Amino acid sequence: MFFRILRKSLQKRKGKVAISIIAVIMGASIPSAMLTVSLDINGKINYEFRKFGANLLVVPESDTIDVGIGDISLSSVTDQRYINETDINKIKSINWSRNILGYAPFLYQVISAETSEEKQQVVLVGTWFDKNTSLEDGSYFQTGVKRINAWWWEIEGNWISDLETINVSDEIYCMIGKNVANKMNLQLGNEINISYEADSNIINKTLIVAGIITSGGTEDNHILVSLPIAQNITNHINQVHTIQVSALCTACPIETIAGEIEGIIDDIDARTILQMTNTEMNILSKIEMMMTLVTIIALLGTILGVSTTLTTSVLERRTEIGLMKSIGAENKKIAALFLTESTIIGLIGGIFGFIIGFVGAQIVGLMVFNSLVSLQVIIIPIALGISVGVSLIASFIPVRRAMKIEPIIVLRGE
Amino acid sequence: MSESFIQTNNLLKVYDGSTLALDNVNIRIDQGDWTSLIGPSGSGKTTLLNMISCLDKPTEGSIVIDNKIVTDLNQVQLTQFRRENIGLIFQKYYLIPYLTALENVMIAMYYHSTVDEDQAIDSLTKVGLEHRLDHKPSKLSGGEQQRVCIARALINNPKILVADEPTGNLDQKNGQIVLDLIHSLHQEGHTILLVTHNIDIAKQGDHIMQIIDGKILEEKESN
Repeated sequence: MFFRILRKSLQKRKGKVAISIIAVIMGASIPSAMLTVSLDINGKINYEFRKFGANLLVVPESDTIDVGIGDISLSSVTDQRYINETDINKIKSINWSRNILGYAPFLYQVISAETSEEKQQVVLVGTWFDKNTSLEDGSYFQTGVKRINAWWWEIEGNWISDLETINVSDEIYCMIGKNVANKMNLQLGNEINISYEADSNIINKTLIVAGIITSGGTEDNHILVSLPIAQNITNHINQVHTIQVSALCTACPIETIAGEIEGIIDDIDARTILQMTNTEMNILSKIEMMMTLVTIIALLGTILGVSTTLTTSVLERRTEIGLMKSIGAENKKIAALFLTESTIIGLIGGIFGFIIGFVGAQIVGLMVFNSLVSLQVIIIPIALGISVGVSLIASFIPVRRAMKIEPIIVLRGE
Repeated sequence: MSESFIQTNNLLKVYDGSTLALDNVNIRIDQGDWTSLIGPSGSGKTTLLNMISCLDKPTEGSIVIDNKIVTDLNQVQLTQFRRENIGLIFQKYYLIPYLTALENVMIAMYYHSTVDEDQAIDSLTKVGLEHRLDHKPSKLSGGEQQRVCIARALINNPKILVADEPTGNLDQKNGQIVLDLIHSLHQEGHTILLVTHNIDIAKQGDHIMQIIDGKILEEKESN
C-alpha cells in the first residue's frame, strides 16, 4: 500500500516532482563533473607540470671528511663521487615505474673552448638527448633531456643524436647555450675546439654547433654533447654526476618514488626538487579547493531548490497529511512517505546528473587539457550518494513541517 | 452514577489564552447511543467533537472513553487510540484525490494494521459502491464520496463513529442515503456522535445535546 500511495502521489504531482528532479540534476551534475575532472586532473595537470622539467634529482651519496687540528675544524673535504651509468635504467624498474615519465643523466666538466676569435672556460655537459635505452626486462624506453625539458627549451638549429661510441672519423656535434654562442660569437655550423687536461694528458676535440639552446637556465652557459663523448673526453667512462628524473605524482607522493629509487640504486640520494613540487602541489590544492567550493555552492543551491519545492508540496498537502493523521497515520509513516519521495527524486536526479556531469567533464577536458576525461566508475555511486544525501537533507525542514501538521485541521475545515 | 461509555468531566478549552471555546462541559454517552450535538456556528460543537475524537486535548478537565482516560495519553498513544476506536466522517469527505475509492478505504487499513482488499471491497459494498471501486473522488458524486468516507470510517470496526455535518454538503436525496446508512450502523450497535445544524437530522438520534457559547444548554431524549 505504501508504494501504491507513493507511486500515485508522485504521478499526481508530476510537475513538482520534475522541478525537484531538475534541481537535483543541476546539483548532482556539477559535483559529478568536478569529481570526474578532479580524479583525472592530477594526471593531466602533472603532465602539464612535467613540461617545466624534472622534479627529482639523483646524486651520488657524498662522504664529507672534516679537516682540522685536534678539535678545531678548519674545513671539510667532500669526495667527488659518481653514479654508475649502468644503474641509470634501474629507475624504470621501481614499483611506481609507470609514474616515471623520463630521466636524463648528466656529466659536467669544465673545459677550455676555443674558436679563432675567443677562448673561454666552459662547462661541458654530457647527457642523453632522446635515447632509446634498453631496460633490464628487455624492453626499450625513449628518454633524455628532449623528453623531460624540451617543452621549454627554445632550440635554434637541431637536436643532436645520442652517439654510442666515438670514431676518429666521426664529426662530433654539440649544442651550445645562448650565452656561450654570444660570448664566443658562434653560429650554427661553426666549429669549437675544446681541450681538457686530465692526468697530464691533454685531450683535444673539435665540435660542430648543431643547435643553440635558449632555456633561461644554466644550460645557456653550457656546451652539451652526448654522454659517451663527454665521458670519453673527461675520462669518466660509465660515470655520471647526476640524473634528473621527471616523475608523475598523482597516486603516490614524490617522496615515495624518491625512496624507491634510493632503495634500488646503491649509494645515491634521490632529492625532490621541493620548490617545484611544492608549487605544483600548491596549484593543485588551489584548483581542488576552487572545485570543492563550486561543488559546495552547487549543492547548497540544490538543497535550497529541493527544500523549497518539497516545502511547497507539504503546504499544499496539509489537508491530506492532516487526514492521514486523523485516520491513524503515525508521524514516522508520514516521514517515510516524504523521505522515500526524496530518495527517488535524488536517485533519478543523480543518474541524469551524473550523465550530464560526465558530458560536462568531457567539455572541460577538451577545452582545458585538449583531451577527453576518462570515466571513473567510482563516481557513479558517489554521485548517486551525494544526490540522495542532498535530497534527504533538503527534505529535513519539509518533513519536520509535515510532522507538525495536526490532524485537527481536517475537522476545522482548513 | 455508573461510568458511561463516553464521559467528559469539567471540560474547558481556551484558545490563544483568552477565547473560551468550551466551558465546564460534562456529558455522558452510553454505548450504542446515537447522540446529536446541535448548535449555531462558533458554539463549540466542533471543538467538543475534536476532544472526543482524540484529535485535540482540553485545557482542563478529562475525557473518559471506554474506561480509558484519553486526556492522559500522549500524542502517539492518542493516535493509536483514535485509529483503533474512532471512525471519522467529515462534512467535506476528505478523500485523497489521487487514490481510487477502494484505495481510500484501504489506506485506513494500512495505517491501522494490515491491508485486506476483500474487506475494503465489502465495506464499499455495504455503502452501495461496489460498482465504483476504481473511481477516483473527482469521478464520484458528493453522496458517493461521503459513502466512501463512511466505508473508510467503518473499515477498522471502530467503537465510536464521529460524524461532523455528514450531510452538510449533500442534496436531500444523497443526504437521506447517508442518514439511512448511519441509521443502519446505529442499529448494528455503533455508538454515534453526530454534529449538525439541522434539528430534523438531530432528532433522528437517541439524544440531543444543544451547545451554545461552549456550554451544554439542554440535553434531552429525542422523540
